Amino acid sequence: MASRCRLIVMAMGVSLSLMPCACSRSSSPPVDQTKAAVPGTGTSTPPAQPVNEDAKALAAFLDRVNQYVLVHQKLENTLPKLSKESTPQQVDAHQRALSKLLQDARKDAKQADIFTPESQVVIKKLISKIFSGPDGPGLRASVMDENPGVPNLKVNDRYPDEIPVSTIPPQLLEGLPKLPEEMEYRFVGNDLILMDTHAHIIADFIPNTFTR
Amino acid sequence: MTVLKRVSVACLIIGFFVPLDAARVRSDVAAAQAQQAAAPLPLTMPNKADSLKFAILGDFGTGSREQYQLAAIMKRVHDQYPFNLVTLVGDNLYGSERPQDFKKKFEDPYKPLLDAGVKFYASLGNHDDPQEQRNYKLFNMDGKRYYSFKPDGNQSVRFFALESSYLQPEQVAWFEQELKASNSDWKIPYFHHPPYSSGERHGSDPQIRTALEPLFLKYNVSVVLTGHDHFYERTKPQKGIVYFVVGAGGQLRKGNIDTRTGLTAAGNDRDQSFMIAEINGDEMWFNAISRQGQVFDSGSFTRRK
Repeated sequence: MASRCRLIVMAMGVSLSLMPCACSRSSSPPVDQTKAAVPGTGTSTPPAQPVNEDAKALAAFLDRVNQYVLVHQKLENTLPKLSKESTPQQVDAHQRALSKLLQDARKDAKQADIFTPESQVVIKKLISKIFSGPDGPGLRASVMDENPGVPNLKVNDRYPDEIPVSTIPPQLLEGLPKLPEEMEYRFVGNDLILMDTHAHIIADFIPNTFTR
Repeated sequence: MTVLKRVSVACLIIGFFVPLDAARVRSDVAAAQAQQAAAPLPLTMPNKADSLKFAILGDFGTGSREQYQLAAIMKRVHDQYPFNLVTLVGDNLYGSERPQDFKKKFEDPYKPLLDAGVKFYASLGNHDDPQEQRNYKLFNMDGKRYYSFKPDGNQSVRFFALESSYLQPEQVAWFEQELKASNSDWKIPYFHHPPYSSGERHGSDPQIRTALEPLFLKYNVSVVLTGHDHFYERTKPQKGIVYFVVGAGGQLRKGNIDTRTGLTAAGNDRDQSFMIAEINGDEMWFNAISRQGQVFDSGSFTRRK
């Protein structure tokens, strides 16, 4: 329950940044904004807004992420633990075994299971806002650097070995909801993917996140 | 204030202006290796007894003949100049990262150095799989995607390996904490994407610069080591900091340095290369060395205080 509350609070922090009054977000980390918006934290800042639809959408997304990670952790705990002494054989075997377990456990998974339709709209809006700022062209260029895209992207597929991961500029990561350690955002072409870093598979994606 | 004391101008000319045909390079290298195996390389390092000696290598894990040839030169350098660690500025393995790739693209070419006890400390580039590499013992990442370490010896140095393709706020906060907590005279960050570079293909990364440069300035960083652009470049000091791009450890993008940027103090986009460095007290010396064993850039500078 507590973790669910934290997720909603995190989502509020991000969502509130979409509002015109939150013009200081580029200089303030999302966590600080979150604290300011939470009743009972001892700060004098009153709750700026009730939970809005964008915040709810992002909370639902993070809830799905959390559910995914619980499954991930449960499956990963069935495998031999990796250590800093692991050999490439052990690391590779672990990664491929975990990806197989997840693919089996989520064999019916489809696009938009984690990135809910509502959250896709909000995340696209967030990215659009960041890309339309004065640094937008540079940020977009960073994302598209060595990022040719992949035709027919599919949930549960292994991230292609031959394609480098896209760079996610720090200014963009500041604006997106924070993910657990097991997951990260990357772009494949202009599709935003949610990558399971331990299993090296695509957990979900948002197609055409921004205009090329 | 960083003071550049000396630069080998003659070697710069070799680096920039002599175009080299790839086939000719290969045969030249083979011949040079056969004929000069015992000949000392023209290093200009002080090689002081108590100094920290290290090498810098980036964008190398191709498994190509050129990577192996440069690795052979690294071993020759090590024979006469015994550096004991190598900082890797990312793109450590290109393409697939199966166990056999770690062997072909890392363990085999650098086996003589590994056997000699040289330790490699990796940072991650955009071609690297964090899960595979951070747990790989020979990359000494201790299971982490970013980390810092203090090398053995008496010199006051700390290295900071960052993951620049995913520089999330908590990593930046961690980096600042580490810089703040460090009492080392030399704080040396290394990572993949260059804040300053004259690469036509990639060039300077303004996002990384915006995020990290204020910390470099605040905590008296004097030198930053990067890769990504597939050549060697030493920038003119930028706000007092010298930036190196050492991105031709196996890859090479010929003719890619755009000198119109005005950033370049020295460069080589004609051959694979790596760099050695030495720190003694407040001084750092460096040599940049090509696959043919030429020292095409050298110099020294004093740390910022």
